[in-house]
Amino acid sequence: MVLLRGFLVLVVFFLLGEALRVLVGLPISGGVLGMVMVTATLMLRGRVSDQLAEASRGLISVLVLLISPGVVGVFFIADRFAGHWFSVAVALVAGTLLSSVTTLWLMKKTAGDRTQGHSHD
Amino acid sequence: MTEFNGRMQELLLVWTTGPMLSIALTLAAFMAANWLFAKVGRPLWMPPVLMAAVILAAAVAASGIGYETYQQGARWLTVLLGPATVALGVPLYQQMHHIRALWRPILCTLPLAASLAAVYAVGIAWLMDAPLSILASLAPKSVTAPIAMGIAEQLGGSVALTLGGLLITGVLASVFVDWGAKWMKISDDRMVGFALGLNGHAIGTARAFEISPTAGAFASLGMGLTGVFTALFLPFVFPF
Repeated sequence: MVLLRGFLVLVVFFLLGEALRVLVGLPISGGVLGMVMVTATLMLRGRVSDQLAEASRGLISVLVLLISPGVVGVFFIADRFAGHWFSVAVALVAGTLLSSVTTLWLMKKTAGDRTQGHSHD
Repeated sequence: MTEFNGRMQELLLVWTTGPMLSIALTLAAFMAANWLFAKVGRPLWMPPVLMAAVILAAAVAASGIGYETYQQGARWLTVLLGPATVALGVPLYQQMHHIRALWRPILCTLPLAASLAAVYAVGIAWLMDAPLSILASLAPKSVTAPIAMGIAEQLGGSVALTLGGLLITGVLASVFVDWGAKWMKISDDRMVGFALGLNGHAIGTARAFEISPTAGAFASLGMGLTGVFTALFLPFVFPF
């Protein structure tokens, strides 16, 4: 029962997210809108119930399980890369390497600047 | 013998009319992948999601049920991705004090890093003369799957190619963020987590939860913000 109650909260917020997406016409998925709404609600309430914490921990621990069926499709659509697989591969590998390093560098740089700014205050 | 074959065909038909065979295959592959992952010493370049997908693809191909039939049954599991995305809001709230402490670097990094995640890949593919439909499919490569599929369709890309790009990007981001953090001597779980979520969406986030709950919360934040940012701005700046 405890888990079900938390799960119900998550599903309701997902439905609310979908409602916001459709009614306002946002190009963002209902799941992400629901996530933002859950965080905002919890911040307003100032605490999270055990049921909700349990249910979300459970779902997050099986995230990989939920993603894997979609990923399987890649092996069955490989032929659509045909002719351009090399540029796609280079773009993905080099692009991801560059963007990962850039993100870390930016974080380090801006976090460092912030502490410096504090010391000047 | 022919009668036995006929029965086997009938059994396959009975098994595949409901979703249970797909669910059993997916659960078994997930558990086998987790077991194997621990067994071979948790290599970064072969995360459980990739192992599970390889095992599943082999099982689907070998069983002869066909990808379409498998996918229909597996929908009973994949619909849970919606509430699971919502669930990421809970660790986000629980780690809010960490996020407050780092709000400036997060806000400074996000727009540039999320844009570059798309621009680097699209730029490289463009330089290599890839057609427009491929560029559109690659653009949302660092965005979480449900949003990325919407963006790819809006820009005129192929959803299947986008999902392929997402998988490869997620796995590569897990490896590259780890290398980059070691190279730049970053040991802050918050920064590593944020970079994982921003570049590697749900796959990077799953990886971040393996590092620590704090890294996981920052990955959820990075993934969510990148998704929202890219969905709002990519359709306006995609220049064709």
